[in-house]
Amino acid sequence: MSDWAIEVEDLVKKFPKKENKEAAKDGDPTPIKRGLFNFSKKSQVQAEQKCFTAVAGVNLQIERGEVFGLLGPNGAGKSTLIRMLCTLLEPTSGTARVNGFDIFKQANQVRQNLGTVLAGERSIYWKLTARENLEYFSALYHIPPAAAHKRVDELLERMELTARADDLVEKYSTGMKQRVAISKALVANPPILLLDEPTLGLDPQAARNLRELIAELKAEGHTILLTTHYMEEADLLSDRIGIIDQGQIIALNTPARLKDRINQRDVIRMEVAGWYEELASKLQVVPGIDKMVTRRMEGEGMVEVSLHAENSRAVLPGVIEKINYNGTRLVNMNIVKPSLEDVFINLTGKALRD
Amino acid sequence: MKTTVQTLSHPTLGSHMRALWMITQKDWTQYWRYPLNVVGQVMSPLIFLAPVYFMGQAFSINGQAQGFAGYAGTTDYISFILIGSVLNNFIMTVFWGIGYALKNDMDSGMLESNWLMPVPRPLLLIGRTFSSLLITAVTSLAMLVIAALAFGFRPTGSALAALVPVVPVVPLLVGLYGFGMAFAAIVLLMRDANTLVDISSYLVGLFSGSQFPVQALPWFLLPISLALPLTYGFDAVRGILLNTKTILPVPVEIGLLVLFMGVMIWLGLRVFTHMERVVRSKGTLGQH
Amino acid sequence: METSPSTILRPTVHATIPQFWGDLRAMGWVAKKEWLYFVRYPSWIISLVVWPMIFPLAYILSARALSGPDGSGLALFTARTGIADYLGFIAVGTTIWMWQNVVLWDVGFSLRREQMRGTLETNWLSPSWRMTFLIGPSLVQLFNMLMFLAVSVLEFGMVFGVRFNGSVWLTLLVVAASIPPIYGIGMAFASLVITAKEAHNFVFMVRGLVMIFCGISYPVSILPEWMQGIAQWLPQTYMMRAVRNAALGNASFQDLTPDLVALASFGAFWLAAGTVLFYWMERRARQTGAIGQY
Repeated sequence: MSDWAIEVEDLVKKFPKKENKEAAKDGDPTPIKRGLFNFSKKSQVQAEQKCFTAVAGVNLQIERGEVFGLLGPNGAGKSTLIRMLCTLLEPTSGTARVNGFDIFKQANQVRQNLGTVLAGERSIYWKLTARENLEYFSALYHIPPAAAHKRVDELLERMELTARADDLVEKYSTGMKQRVAISKALVANPPILLLDEPTLGLDPQAARNLRELIAELKAEGHTILLTTHYMEEADLLSDRIGIIDQGQIIALNTPARLKDRINQRDVIRMEVAGWYEELASKLQVVPGIDKMVTRRMEGEGMVEVSLHAENSRAVLPGVIEKINYNGTRLVNMNIVKPSLEDVFINLTGKALRD
Repeated sequence: MKTTVQTLSHPTLGSHMRALWMITQKDWTQYWRYPLNVVGQVMSPLIFLAPVYFMGQAFSINGQAQGFAGYAGTTDYISFILIGSVLNNFIMTVFWGIGYALKNDMDSGMLESNWLMPVPRPLLLIGRTFSSLLITAVTSLAMLVIAALAFGFRPTGSALAALVPVVPVVPLLVGLYGFGMAFAAIVLLMRDANTLVDISSYLVGLFSGSQFPVQALPWFLLPISLALPLTYGFDAVRGILLNTKTILPVPVEIGLLVLFMGVMIWLGLRVFTHMERVVRSKGTLGQH
Repeated sequence: METSPSTILRPTVHATIPQFWGDLRAMGWVAKKEWLYFVRYPSWIISLVVWPMIFPLAYILSARALSGPDGSGLALFTARTGIADYLGFIAVGTTIWMWQNVVLWDVGFSLRREQMRGTLETNWLSPSWRMTFLIGPSLVQLFNMLMFLAVSVLEFGMVFGVRFNGSVWLTLLVVAASIPPIYGIGMAFASLVITAKEAHNFVFMVRGLVMIFCGISYPVSILPEWMQGIAQWLPQTYMMRAVRNAALGNASFQDLTPDLVALASFGAFWLAAGTVLFYWMERRARQTGAIGQY
């Protein structure tokens, strides 16, 4: 048996793109050449452009008992990667092994050893009770009847669903439905769990409860791969984090070491009132500024600006001068320790969240 | 850190059978939790039978359809229709039921959940038909009872004789499972095959003789009928139960059905397996 | 904190169009949205052309079987019912049935479809007259049905050889008189369907009733008396009879008047029922919060 819980080698996934309209959108008016007999470089490039690459050659090894966080913005390729690992999606090339089983050649064994939570609410039967849902999935996981009954009771107890176990799921709150979905993923006591954006759509309390559960599961020895675009969640829960963008892992390490990478950098966080678009370009040319990201805040004309600089003290006078001019005002300012979001900004020049 | 977590999942033949049973139970339970479905099921035989009965009456004297006998070889129009209808219900359940179950799963978002299970896909699909077959059996029985009470249906002959039609029906239905798998493959790929399916199912039902003897078709439509294996299924069952004029001798028709069964099972599984891979490659499994 | 009048928030877009014209414009847009959804699923063309031809086939071929190779069955039928043009009889019957069926699905489920898409709540957040969201789809559906009827007439003539000997204008008058009851029933349905989760069973039952009592493939006169009594309460009975008399027979306006009056009464009743049910449903949804649920 392999030492790794999950091993991924050069995994690639390409989807066919909708032609011509896409080319036109990118400013290229030349229609994409079709046909078998166009061997010119241009047509090869254009053939490549016919595909959208969601996962562009990912290499990854996850240790047993590890919580691995896959952090990236929307559209980075996280869900595509998860779907390939749980055998719902076939890769274009490359390979992966889950608990030592090949995702392509040994798909059934992979499924036996995996518990996956995709979209919580719609992955369970609403016209069945929680108990009936779990008994159904137990059977599909080939759990012997006596073990299945015991397991279902255990999970209902653990998820605090026992009191409502015999009510139809359609009457549950969103948080309860999510707990049923997680129970379903845990029913076969899988060594490996894949959680795709598990706290998306949950209220803060429910999200907090779920994070505590993840920590408990890790303590019990489960390996967990979770995807998220919430950096605080990744930071809090993960032993290691892979930062993914545009289908590739651009950084992989423990949260602390990732942040260390840019420790030499100062991060200046400012709240500016009366923002206007040209101010962005004016700030970027201030000497000493490496990276800059802005995000609109609540309140008219209010913008949050994150600046990365090697020496904040040297940079500040120039920045403040540019801001406090012509009606724009600096409302708040902090020099902060870099967060994972800042790591992401440092690597890609854009924000993690929209 | 090494994990000591061991999966509880241990597939055996028994566990596969149990999975089939649980799928059936799940569908059955869900079905009856929509109370209007129960009402609909009870009323549907009546809604179907009454217009047929009255139409037959309009062409009959004392319940005997003389003109009809010229094509079918029997004046017992209501029995002719009843047999066709009961058989048609079972055919529909298998023929289209697999694809519809798949479509329902896609629409409700349950397809991915089920596909994550370590169970062979064809088993998942076949399991979906069992509770429908049970429901169909209940409805058909209700139809026969109502027909006897309200529409003058009088079965004659022994109960044992009524079991003989099982001989042509079994290969017919098993072969239809093959077709059902191929249709499911199309549903997976097309995701919105409603119109195509509605029209196809209607035409197939029409031309296979579920509602009238195919001998009554105009000469230019008859070849379509004769090319459909279902036609021989209806014909053989009626030939056995009503002693009607069959297109071919009954043993020959049964032989054709057995051949159909073999071909369709092989073809259906191949098409489905191929299409399922295509869909997994395209990544459209979760979409509807 | 005291709220002086200047701090009270006012809507930044003032209603400058009088409410009536605003609602009319909104209705136009609702109809346009329905139309776009319709044409963006290309299978509608197939439905439009194919169904008028194949649906009557079951009845026509059954009748052919019942007639027998020597036509003796048909002679018996004609003697009992007085109907010689059986093809035309069935053609009209099946078309009216299909019309009601399609309206039940299209109009009857229009609100339900919005609910499933999750857009019903969004629509109801707007200040438009609520009935807009029912009338809009009905208008589009009516336009589609008129196309369907035109295609049906063409196909019956060309494929089945049905001869429409009656007056075109009278036929159109009967069709026009049939619109209020059919769409009123559809609208009443739309409101019931929102509240009932398995509403497709209602559709099966209603169209089953029409199939049995209204005489698609046989005249009502051959039904037992108690069933004929029930048939009198269904507007489709009058539609089928009147269209057959107008299109296939040589009925005059005087001959058709009783049926036209009946259709007008049914139309008034069902449109009123549809409106009342709609407001009842809307109020109930606001009380129970059921609109957003699916």
